[in-house]
Amino acid sequence: MAGQTDHSISIFSAAEVEFIAEDEMIEIVPNIRMDALNLLCGDFGPFVPQIPCTVPLWLAVALKKRGKCSIRTPDWMSVEKLTQVLEAERESPREFQPLPFHYVEISRLLLDHAHDDIPEVYMVRSLIEDIRNVRFHKVESGLETISGRTHAVKLKNLSAMEVNLVRPFMARVLQAFYKHDSPEMVQQADTSASKRPQVVDRGPRRDLRPR
Amino acid sequence: MGRLLKLREAHKTDAPATCSVLWAHDGSHLATSCASDTEVLIHDLSAPPPGRSGSTAGSSPVVLRHHKEGVTAIALGPMAGPLASGSFDHSVKLYNFPVGSFQGNVTRFTLPIKSLAFNKSGSLLAAAGDDDGIKLISTIDLTISRVLKGHRGPVTGLSFDPKHDYLASIDSFGTVIYWELSTGKQLHTLKSIAPNYNSDSSVLNTLSWRPDGEMLAVPGLRNDVVMYDRDTGEKLFNLRGDHEKSVCSFCWSPNGKYLATSGLDKQVLIWDVDLKQDIERQKFEERICGLSWKPVGNSLAVIDVVGRFGIWDNPVPVSMKSPTEGVVLNEPHPLFEDEDEEEVLGKGISCYSGSLDDSIEKGSGDFSPISRKRVKKRGPSFDEGEEVLQEIDSRKRRKESENKREDGEIRERAVRMQDAFQVGFTPPQQGKRRFLCYNLLGCVTSLENDGFSHVEVDFHDTGRGPRVPSMTDYFGFTMAALNEKGCVLANPCKGEKNMSTLMYRPFGSWANNSEWSMRFELEEVKVVALGKNWVAAVTSHNFLRIFTESGLQMHILSVNGPVVAAAGSGDLLAVVTHASDCLSSGDQVLEIKVFNINEATQTISGRLPLTPCSHLTWLGFSEDGRLGSFDSKGNLRVYSDQFGGSWLPVFSADKARKSEDENYWIVGFNATKLFCIVCKSPESYPSVMPKPVLTILEFSSPLASSDLGADEVENEFMMTNLQLSEIRKKIKDMEAFGLDVTALDDEAFSLEVKLDRCILKLIASCCHSDRLVRATELARLLSTQKSLKGAITIVTASKLPILQEKFSTILEERMLDDLKTPEPIPTGRSNGKTAYSVQPPVRLSPMMEKSPDLNNRTPNTIKPQIKPSPATETLKLVKARYSTPENLAQGEDISKERELGSKLEKVATFVKGKGNATSEVTGKDVSSSATGNVKPELKIPINPFARVKKAT
Repeated sequence: MAGQTDHSISIFSAAEVEFIAEDEMIEIVPNIRMDALNLLCGDFGPFVPQIPCTVPLWLAVALKKRGKCSIRTPDWMSVEKLTQVLEAERESPREFQPLPFHYVEISRLLLDHAHDDIPEVYMVRSLIEDIRNVRFHKVESGLETISGRTHAVKLKNLSAMEVNLVRPFMARVLQAFYKHDSPEMVQQADTSASKRPQVVDRGPRRDLRPR
Repeated sequence: MGRLLKLREAHKTDAPATCSVLWAHDGSHLATSCASDTEVLIHDLSAPPPGRSGSTAGSSPVVLRHHKEGVTAIALGPMAGPLASGSFDHSVKLYNFPVGSFQGNVTRFTLPIKSLAFNKSGSLLAAAGDDDGIKLISTIDLTISRVLKGHRGPVTGLSFDPKHDYLASIDSFGTVIYWELSTGKQLHTLKSIAPNYNSDSSVLNTLSWRPDGEMLAVPGLRNDVVMYDRDTGEKLFNLRGDHEKSVCSFCWSPNGKYLATSGLDKQVLIWDVDLKQDIERQKFEERICGLSWKPVGNSLAVIDVVGRFGIWDNPVPVSMKSPTEGVVLNEPHPLFEDEDEEEVLGKGISCYSGSLDDSIEKGSGDFSPISRKRVKKRGPSFDEGEEVLQEIDSRKRRKESENKREDGEIRERAVRMQDAFQVGFTPPQQGKRRFLCYNLLGCVTSLENDGFSHVEVDFHDTGRGPRVPSMTDYFGFTMAALNEKGCVLANPCKGEKNMSTLMYRPFGSWANNSEWSMRFELEEVKVVALGKNWVAAVTSHNFLRIFTESGLQMHILSVNGPVVAAAGSGDLLAVVTHASDCLSSGDQVLEIKVFNINEATQTISGRLPLTPCSHLTWLGFSEDGRLGSFDSKGNLRVYSDQFGGSWLPVFSADKARKSEDENYWIVGFNATKLFCIVCKSPESYPSVMPKPVLTILEFSSPLASSDLGADEVENEFMMTNLQLSEIRKKIKDMEAFGLDVTALDDEAFSLEVKLDRCILKLIASCCHSDRLVRATELARLLSTQKSLKGAITIVTASKLPILQEKFSTILEERMLDDLKTPEPIPTGRSNGKTAYSVQPPVRLSPMMEKSPDLNNRTPNTIKPQIKPSPATETLKLVKARYSTPENLAQGEDISKERELGSKLEKVATFVKGKGNATSEVTGKDVSSSATGNVKPELKIPINPFARVKKAT
């Protein structure tokens, strides 16, 4: 079906999502003196040794690879914070804790490239893995609740990687339900399959999932 | 339960209540109180001959019935000082002790009192309870000398530092606060370090200083007692052992060697604090809530929650040091005799209860379970004579230590002159790398390891700084200074063998072996500094020794006093010395001299100001060569040439601090910012690992809070002014040398613009708060005419015609001045402005274009003459009515003409224009309110004429 391929195009590969996440800002402590960089995405620096400044993650990683800076671990990546988040994630089966939208990618990048700048790196790594697993499991178990009368699913605090995983599936499921619900749509499936079902009246609205 | 201590009922209680017990200082009396009993009892123990352990036979106690409700706390002053009691009835009362006569009410609270404490001299009584403040009451005149507020919950424990610097307090949430007595400030707040009894009022948290004041004991969260450091509030160690529940009460032995603790598990443990080991224990039927060591001998008074008390003789096994050995007694002399006897007697008893099993005791490390039996087993034993001899010995020792102590006190009273320190160092820590020097360039670190250390030099800028191999240091360097070219290291002398050495390591040299070192016999290097091609060291002989980079001894100068710190940069060397002993208020008297080493001159000499009661913690030059000092109260001062050379306070940590527990460890500063490392309390120094990160803080003047409510702008104004004056001075200096100053001029100009912007903001806020005079004054400070016009727009917008008029006059004067002296600016403003202000007419025109709707299309012959003339803003408004685009062009023409024409001509034109304008305005009788207000002034065109006279 044409619609199918359309949807699969909207999936990013993990590397692509990571690429998008590289535009997130992060604080670094340079160990070189360098004038400000005037880039298309903005001006960064000037870089003075031992004085922190904020740059995009890609620049931070590039500098780090050359040994020109150390990356300051973001606040949410401390063992203390992550432990809290993990506990909260485990306690509330229907909610997601607020984490940066790109937390998976950022933590992955930092753990890959700046593991020497992260205090208690093993702990952080395992905590993030745990959090990720808990959340992915939550997403999957949430999918089971989708039924024929679901119009939309509201997921607050879902992160980029998570949404990227479920988006094509979810969209197709909703669409399939939609199609099978309204017989007149089936006949003209080819033309409207890719269209978003929007304001068609389909019986009493079901409440959105609690946040 | 083996030998159980017999407890005697003193207070009758129905329910468990907190009771307290206290010994008189000579051990002859015992005071007890109970929270459910209104009476305070004083038991006389000296009358009957002391009997066997546990028997506290005595005649009927003195009963003090003055409180209306239960007595929650008692405290005893030093010597035979007064007895204080606090009660649920909200009052604190004083009694003579041990007589028991009522002296008076001390204070009243609004809520029950929970805790009382006397300081060591008895001059202060601290009282606290459910009220939100600890009252410090002077016992001499019974006035409240201070109220310390900071606890969130009921304060249940108070303890004065025996050295009288601090007061420690604990509340029922388990939060401990160290208060500085001299200022009443909170030094450290240790949150939730003790059990939280907020829901359980039967248990009161307590805390207590060790008698030598070096540590503070606080009940811990894990059934232990935790010791905190006196000064830093850091956790030192804990006493953890056989308590199965939280510790609720404890008492230090008079010599501070032992600690008696009682827990909620109804046990009392005796600890040897040095060994961190419990040496004796006893289990009771009820929880013991009050403990008190007998000031002489070896006994412990205990009281339980049902009001029964007893005396535990020999809680410390006799084989061990007595808990009172080495104590300095504050008794007046006549009492000494008695007490001596008493003590000998006491000892006598203890030796009659014997130390048969001395040998066992010494041999065994683990005392607790057996020792009780052992004590019980003690039979009568030997030789009182020996014991007495020992006692005499120990008395001698005691007297010696007393003498020593007096010396110490004298020294302490005279506040110490601060020691010399190396800028950017951190104190040594066991097994940890520490900084010998840390500056904006890099750091020198050292790690001690088996008698010698590893010294490493690291530059922050790894790209540019040279790589320096680490070095093994056999001297034990403690001081270092670092710059791009090399580093200098020095060590103090440690005995005869290890004399003070100064070593210089250049980082890049064309010759091998260009490292050199100097040795100092009978002299000690105190501080070192480094500059361009020179090395300086100040020694204990008050010599300032200057060496060249290659180790040539160039100069030896004498400095004025013991050195405190030194800093070098470029050619300049700053040396801070003591000018005299400290003032009695605790202020250091410091003197600073700045030398130019290359020219062998002295550029600055004078006193170094400090915040009261603080000491110098940092001294250094900024990158642009300005001198700054930082003191322990967190104030940065920068030297400025203003007012014949003075120190300007530019930063205060108190204001900048975001939370209480931040300490700023300064590293450097530049024109507007301070670079520092933020250390979280209790740390006041950064550690080497992980690498500290610099924080940038903006300068802020200690401004008084003004009625403008524009503190930030005012601060910016001050700072920009300061910067500007620095730059102007630099320009002047450089011009004197005939150097190119264009870059500086540009900088000065941009600063002027910044300043003007800031002034305009201030004018706006002045207008808002109706400070018209101040606004006028500010307008006079504006440097460019453009901003002056901006100011006029502001006041026009805020409908203040008076100001508008004033500002116009200022602008007019300014323009006239410019006319008279087109090239040099009379107000001392920098040349940067000249280009800006030469052609006022050109800049007049855009303002007119802004109001084209006002333009009257009727051509007017006078206009061309008006336009080029420097006219007031109001005039301009009037003119605007008649100006047309052609006139604008004409105006420009005329301005060009004017550049060509002579000054006189110009002035004449102006006068003509001015006169005409005036006459016209009066003639036409413009009806707008703004111009109406201006009219009177315009009618009297005296000023312009007067000026013309001068000009011609």
